[in-house]
Amino acid sequence: MTERNDAVVIGAGHNALVTAAYLGRAGLRTLVLERRERVGGAADTTELAPGMRVPTLAHTVGRLRPSIVRDLALKEHGLTLLAPEVRVFAPSPDGSAVTLWRDVAATAEGLRKRSSADADAYAGFDRQVRALGHFLADLGQETPPDILSPGIGDALAGLKLGRTYRGLGKVDARTLLRVLPMAVADYVAEAFETDALRAAIAWRGVRYAELGPWSGGSTAVLLTDGAGNDGGAAGETIYARGGPGALAEALAAAARAAGVEIRTGATVSRVGTDDGRATGVVLESGEVVDARAVVSGTDARRTLTELVDPVTVGPSMRWRAGNIRQPGVVAKVNLALRATPTFPAAGGDPRTLRGRIVVAPGIDAMERAFDAAKYGRPSDTPVVEATIPSLVDASLVTGGPEGGQVMSVIAQYAPVDLREGSWDDQRDAFGDAVMGVLESVAPGIGGLVEARQVLTPRDLEREYGLAGGHPLHAEPTLDSFFLWRPLFGHARYRLPVEGLYLCGSSAHPGGGITGGPGQNAAREVVADLRRRRG
Amino acid sequence: MAERYDAVIIGGGHNGLVSAAYLARAGMKTLVLESRHVLGGAAVTEEIVPGFRFSAFSYVVSLLRPEIIRELRLPQHGLDILPLDGTFTPLDGDYLWRVNDHGRTMRELRRWNPSDAEAYEEYGQLMVEMAKFIKPILGIVPPDPTGRDPREFLPLAGLARAFQQLPERQQAVFVQLMTMSASAFLDQWFETDPLKATMSASGIIGTYLGVKSPGTAYVLLHHYMGEIDGAFRAWGIPKGGTGGISLAIASAARSLGAEIRLEAPVARITTVGDRATGVVLESGEEIEAAAVLASTDVRRTFLQLLEPGTLDPDFEAEVKRFKFRGSSGKVNLAVDRLPDFLCLPGQGEHLRGAISFSPSIDYMERAYDDAKYGRFSQRPYIDMIIPTLVDPTMAPPGKHVISCFVQYAPYKLDPSLGTWDDQREAFGDAVIETIAERAPDIRDIIIGRQVHTPLDIERITGLTEGNIFQGELSLEQLFFSRPVPGYARFRTPIRDLWLCGSSTHPGGGIMGANGRLAAMELLRARGRKAA
Repeated sequence: MTERNDAVVIGAGHNALVTAAYLGRAGLRTLVLERRERVGGAADTTELAPGMRVPTLAHTVGRLRPSIVRDLALKEHGLTLLAPEVRVFAPSPDGSAVTLWRDVAATAEGLRKRSSADADAYAGFDRQVRALGHFLADLGQETPPDILSPGIGDALAGLKLGRTYRGLGKVDARTLLRVLPMAVADYVAEAFETDALRAAIAWRGVRYAELGPWSGGSTAVLLTDGAGNDGGAAGETIYARGGPGALAEALAAAARAAGVEIRTGATVSRVGTDDGRATGVVLESGEVVDARAVVSGTDARRTLTELVDPVTVGPSMRWRAGNIRQPGVVAKVNLALRATPTFPAAGGDPRTLRGRIVVAPGIDAMERAFDAAKYGRPSDTPVVEATIPSLVDASLVTGGPEGGQVMSVIAQYAPVDLREGSWDDQRDAFGDAVMGVLESVAPGIGGLVEARQVLTPRDLEREYGLAGGHPLHAEPTLDSFFLWRPLFGHARYRLPVEGLYLCGSSAHPGGGITGGPGQNAAREVVADLRRRRG
Repeated sequence: MAERYDAVIIGGGHNGLVSAAYLARAGMKTLVLESRHVLGGAAVTEEIVPGFRFSAFSYVVSLLRPEIIRELRLPQHGLDILPLDGTFTPLDGDYLWRVNDHGRTMRELRRWNPSDAEAYEEYGQLMVEMAKFIKPILGIVPPDPTGRDPREFLPLAGLARAFQQLPERQQAVFVQLMTMSASAFLDQWFETDPLKATMSASGIIGTYLGVKSPGTAYVLLHHYMGEIDGAFRAWGIPKGGTGGISLAIASAARSLGAEIRLEAPVARITTVGDRATGVVLESGEEIEAAAVLASTDVRRTFLQLLEPGTLDPDFEAEVKRFKFRGSSGKVNLAVDRLPDFLCLPGQGEHLRGAISFSPSIDYMERAYDDAKYGRFSQRPYIDMIIPTLVDPTMAPPGKHVISCFVQYAPYKLDPSLGTWDDQREAFGDAVIETIAERAPDIRDIIIGRQVHTPLDIERITGLTEGNIFQGELSLEQLFFSRPVPGYARFRTPIRDLWLCGSSTHPGGGIMGANGRLAAMELLRARGRKAA
C-alpha cells in the first residue's frame, strides 16, 4: 500500500513540471510519473554526435512566462536565458534577406533598402501586435470563466477582461475582433507591401498548425505567439543555455526542491476511477498509485479516450474528445555541422545567424507548401525555421570537429497521415527535401553535415507521446480557444471526471514552451484540494 | 426646383425595395432610383435567348424572411415559390441522391454507408436546433462591441440566455459552427466523401474560401434556416425567376405609396457638412431627401458616390479594407432537350432538384486551389438547376433553361491570363467540359449560352468585384464587423446617410433582412411607428 498522494501528475513535460512545482510549493504531496527515462517531454536536448548537443524538438524558449521563472526561482535552479539581438533572419534564394532585430528602429532602417513604405509602417504594426498581444496575454492568465453557472470569481474575471478590452481603446478593441478570425496573409498585407517581409512575419501564424497563410484564423495564432512576451512583430527569440533540456532540468530541480517526487520510466496505463471520480492511476507494472487529484500532462483527447474507462467518460463526451483535432504537420531535422554554414544573404554579418533563420520565400510559396499537406503529401519545398544555437551557447559543442556547430530545423509541412507510404519510408526523403531548402539559401551546407537526425510526426508521436505528432497537443486555431480549449464547458482545467485535471498544452492558453497551462492548472487544483480538505 | 422626399433609396435591388416598402408603409414619401431598365439588382429575370427567360444571377431562394413575406403580403403581389426537390450528385458510374422524402434519402445513404445514414438523422436534427437558436440574430441590430450603451446589447442578452439553455453538446457544436471549416465540421459525423463534399458546398458559396478553410462551417447553417422557415422546405425557385421576387416586392412598395424610377442612375450623394441632403442623378437632376438609403455596396457607396474628402480617413481606410473578392460565375444555357447523365440515364426526377458537381472534398478543395493563385477552376464546383422542370413558363414548350452557378472564378485573375474579357469563353468551356464528363450530350443540346464572369456581374449589377453578397461572408466581416466595426447599425459617419444592402448585417442572399432592419432603425431614429 503506497502512501496516499495529494496529486499524481501524468507525464513530465514542461507544463506538468510547472504544475507539480506549484503544487509542491502549496504544500501538496505530489508525485510525477514519466514514461521516458528523461524529464521535459518536448523540451529536450540530444547529443547528436560526440560532444555536440542539439535542441531535440523545440529550439527556443522565448514564450516562457516570466512569472514562472520568478516564482520557481528557475535561475537559482540553473536556468540561463540567452537573448540574441537578432530575432529573425529570413534569407531568400535570390540572395536578398529580411532581418528583424529586437530593436524596432534598427529593423525599420534595414527594411528601408527594399521599401520605405514598409520601413515607415513597421513600428506602427509592431505597436499594434504588442497591444493586441497584451490583451491576449491577460486572457491567457485567466482561467476561462464558467459562463453557464457563473460565480463571483467568474463575474470578476469577466469584468476584469472587459476592462482590459476597453483599455485597448476603441480602435484597437475593434481591430482585435476584426483581425482574430482573419487570414494572416491579409493581416500582414494591410501593413506591408514586400512579400518576403509579409512571409517572415506570417510564418508564426501557421507554425505547428494545419493552416496556410490564407487560412482564416491564422492571425489569432500570430497574435497569441507574441502574447505575454516581448515578441511584437518579430516574435521572441530566446535560448536556454544547454538547450531546452536545461529548462526541463531547472523545472525538475525546482519541483524537487518543493518536495515533489519525480519517477521516470513509469508508464501510466490508466486512470483509476471509483463511482465516476478519479482515485489515482495504474502503472503498466500493475502498481496502483492513489491520489486525491489526478493531473494529466498528456493531451485531453488521449486522456479521455485512452486513459479513462469509457463508461465513466460516457459516449457523448467520448465522441467529443475523440474529435479534438491533432493533425501534426511538423517534422524536426537536427544537424551536427563541421563549420558554420555560409548564407550569402547574411552579407558576412555574423550576428544575423544567431536568431531564428526562417526560409519562407513568400506568402504563396508557404501556401503551396501547405497545399501538399492537404492531400496527405509532405511538401517538396517545406517552410523551415532553423537555429544555430551553438553560435549563442558554446556549451552545446564540447567535442567534435574544431569550429563545429549544431543546427536545429523545424520543417513544415509534413502531414502525420500520409496517403501513400509510411513515414518510415519517407523519413530520409523529407530530410533531403529540408536540406534542399537549406542549400537554396546556404550553398554547401550539405557538405558540412557530420550527423543528421530526422524526426517525423510519427516519431514525435511514438517517442514523445505527442498524439497525432502535434507539438501543441491540439490545433491552436479558433475552434480550440479559451472557453472551448480543449472542450466547451471543460476549459477550467477540470476534465469531465471529478478529480481529473488537465495541465498540458491542449488546455488554455495552448501549446508552446510557455508553462501557461501548467501554471493556470496548478491554481485550480490547489483551490479544489484546499476546498475539499476543509 | 428640386423635389423633396422623406427618403430616397439608391438601387432597386431586393433590399432597396424592401426598405422602400417599409418606409412607405410608415407613411414616408419614398423614392427608389434604379440605374438599369429592370428592377431587382442581382435578383432579375431576363430574356437573353429569344423565348428563354433566365434568373440571370441569383437563382434559388431559401432565406427570404417570412415576416417580410407576411408583412408586405408578397403572395398577393404575385410571389409564388416552387419547391426544388432534392440534391443529385452525379459521380463516375454512381450517384448520391438526397430528396425531401426522408425514407428514400435514408435508404440511399444506407446504400453508401449505414453509419452515415444514422449520423445524417442525428445531424439534421442537431442543425435544425442550431438554426432555431441562431435565427433571431438575423433580426438583431448589432451593437458596437466597444460601445457603452446597454440598450444596444439587450437583444444579445436574450441570445445569451437562449445559449445557456442549450444542452452542453449543442453549445459546443455551435462554437464549432462559428469557428471550424465545413470539411472538418462534417468529418465529425460522416465518412461518405460525395456526401461531405456536397454538404460542404453550401459552406463556400459566394466566398473566396475553400471547404477546408476555417470559418466556412457557419454558412452550412443558412441552409437549415431556410428549411425551418415553414413557408417552404429547403430551396425553392420563384415563379418567373428570381426577378419574380423583386417584382412582387416592388408591387408591394408601390401599393404602399413608394415611387420607383428606372434608368435613373445616381451620380453622387449630396452632402452639406457631415450630413447627406439628397442625390444628383447622372442626368444632372437633383433630388432632395431627409434621408438617403444606399442599397449599393459599402465600397461603391462611400468611395464612388461621395465627394472625395467627405469621409474621415480612418473610416475610409476601413472601407477600403472590406473584402469583396468575387469568386463565382454564372453560366446560363438554353437547351432544346434535357441532358442525359451517364450515371442515371433518362429524364427522371433527379433532374428536378439541384444537381451538384461535387464528387469529393479533394475536388472541391482543388477547385479552390486554382482560385487561390488567380485562375478559374479547371474542374469547378457547379450547382445546376433546371427551372423549366418546375416552371415551364421560362422557355418555349419542350425546351429548357439550365442555370449553372459556378465556383471558383476569382475576380482578380493572374496577369498571365489577361483579363476576364479574354477568358470569358474559356471559362464557359471549362464549365461545359465539366458537365460533359457526367452528361456528354450537353454539347449537342445547347441552343444558347450566356457566361457571366465576376467582371460581368460587377459591370451589370454594380456589385463590387462581382461579389454576390456585397462583401465576403467571412467571420471578420460578420455581425458587428459588417461592414465596418462600430458602424454595423446601418448608420454611417455621414448623418442621414444609411446603408440597407447586403454589405450590412446579416449579409447576402435573397433574404431582405438587411433592407427591413435598416428601415426599422431609420423609423426608430425618426420616432416613427413602423405602421
